[in-house]
Parts: sequence; structure tokens; C-alpha cells
Amino acid sequence: MEDKELLEKFAQPESRNLAFNQLVRKYQQKVYWHIRKMVIDHEDADDLTQEVFVKVWKNLENFRQGSQLYTWIYRIATNECLTFLSNKKRRFFLPIHDVAAELSEKIDTSPDISGDEIQRKLQKALLRLPDKQRLVFNMKYYDEMKYEEMSEILGTSVGALKASYHLAVKKIEEFLKQD
Amino acid sequence: MTKMNKDFKLSDIPKHNVYQVPEGYFDRLPARVMERTAAAEKQQVPWRPGLWRPVRLALAPLLMLLLVFVGVYLTNQPAQPEDQVLNLARVSETEIMDYLSSYAILESSDFAELNNLREQELPAELLNVTPTAAEEELEYYHLNDIDY
Repeated sequence: MEDKELLEKFAQPESRNLAFNQLVRKYQQKVYWHIRKMVIDHEDADDLTQEVFVKVWKNLENFRQGSQLYTWIYRIATNECLTFLSNKKRRFFLPIHDVAAELSEKIDTSPDISGDEIQRKLQKALLRLPDKQRLVFNMKYYDEMKYEEMSEILGTSVGALKASYHLAVKKIEEFLKQD
Repeated sequence: MTKMNKDFKLSDIPKHNVYQVPEGYFDRLPARVMERTAAAEKQQVPWRPGLWRPVRLALAPLLMLLLVFVGVYLTNQPAQPEDQVLNLARVSETEIMDYLSSYAILESSDFAELNNLREQELPAELLNVTPTAAEEELEYYHLNDIDY
């Protein structure tokens, strides 16, 4: 179902739940994987994904159709991720590298993370990037998003995003060479 | 651990999602989200009956006090000038003339209106002043210089 049709059905009380259920089915994987790559842990990603959709539910009536629905949902998911990671650092009074170390350990020990050694090393290298740069990298490299869409979601200029991505790639390659 | 060569590029690594989810996770997720939205909707009720009742009880006497205060305030208001004009309109011209002849003491400033009244026939006893005295008063006050 197209977004426009979903929104029209959501606006009608009798089809509101059905439309929202379809919206969740349509976007759940994109949202979940976007979050999961940032927070690593499945339980955290699961909780945040649900939280994102609750926020979508609460604010969908205010959604302006000038922008695309999925970029709007992505933006909510991105904000949730950054807030979560920020709180995590603050809660445990840990500097950034300690949270990265904790997440890095999960990559080695978690049963729901697979992949060969190179893949795991890549994930650990990603954790060494600042959160926002990691977001940029994930959106470009894994989600293959256009810079213009990323710009709309992150509120950053296309030029800055391009520079950030290329810098992230350089850093990752350096990390991988070092290890 | 695998050692990367010096010319290593990110594009050398195949793109692969290393993360996994429990089986059937995405089949169950929509239902779990809907449970949470239903719970969130219940929480959005602005006034819970348990909170609203004591507030209503506290507001009732306050409202009564406010109504009494407004009532007392309005009844103690002095009559408005419009009412006075209306009342005066009901008094006949003869009665007004009789009253002024008997009780009114005209002030010097009242002569300011003499120019307008000149054409009208006014009883001498009402004015209680001679034409000469009136002219002298007019000269004294330089009425043309006074703004009304």
C-alpha cells in the first residue's frame, strides 16, 4: 500500500489500527536494522524499534506530507538511537571508548551475531567512529541511501555528509590495517 | 587474526549483515507494537476520574464565591450618566424652570453659554444678573480663548 493511502486510512478512525499495522509491517525491518547496527544488542534494538513506532503513532496526525514518510520515520529512529547511546554513556559515567568496548565485546560474544572474522572486525572498527559518523556510514554503506535523503533525515548538508562518509571509510580502512 | 595488506580497501570486504534476529521476530513485532500503542492511547486520557473529582469539589465553592462577589459588585455600582440623562428627560420643562428659579445659583462660568442662549427668551429671575453685569463677566473671562 502506498504511503498516501496509508495516511488517508490512518486519518479515519475505523481504519486507523489496520492502516497503522500495515505501516509497521512496511517499515519495521528498515527501522529495526537501522537501530540494530547502532546499538548492536537485539533487546535494545527491539525496545527502541517499538518506541519509534509508538512515537510514529502519536505524531502521525501531525506529519506534513511535504516530506516522505520513511525519511520522517528514519529521523525518529535516528534520534532515538542517538538519545539511547548518549544516555547509556551518561548513565554509567563511561567515556565514549568504554561504551564502544562494551558493544565490541557483544560482537564477539552475542549468539545472534554471525559472520566471519573480517565481518566482525569491520563491525568493531565501526564502533570506533563517533556515533553520528557511524550513522552516516551505515546509511550510505549498508542502506545505500542518497546523500539528499540523508541530508533530510540528519539535517546536515550534502557536502558535510560526503566528507563525513569518506573520512569514515578512511578511518575504517586504517583501523583494519592496524589490527 | 587476519592481517590486512597495505592496499586494503573497504570494497574488498563483501557487504554482509552479521546481525540476526530470533525466528519469527518480524511476524510478531507488529502485534507487540499495536499493544504498546493501545496502552499509550489509554495513558493519553487527559483527566483521570480519580484526579478530576477532588478538583471539581474544590472548584464548586470557589465558583459560588466568585458569583456572589460579582453579584454584590454589580448591585453596588452607582447609576450610570446615561440613566441620569434619561431621568432628566422625563422631567417636564416647567418643573426644571421652577427648580432653577428657586434653587439654582449660577456661577460665573455659566455665562460662557450666554452667547448660545442670547437668541432664546430667558426669564430675568432665572439668570439673576443684569445684561451689563453679564457683558462685563464675558469681557473678563475672554471666552474666545478658552477651549471647551
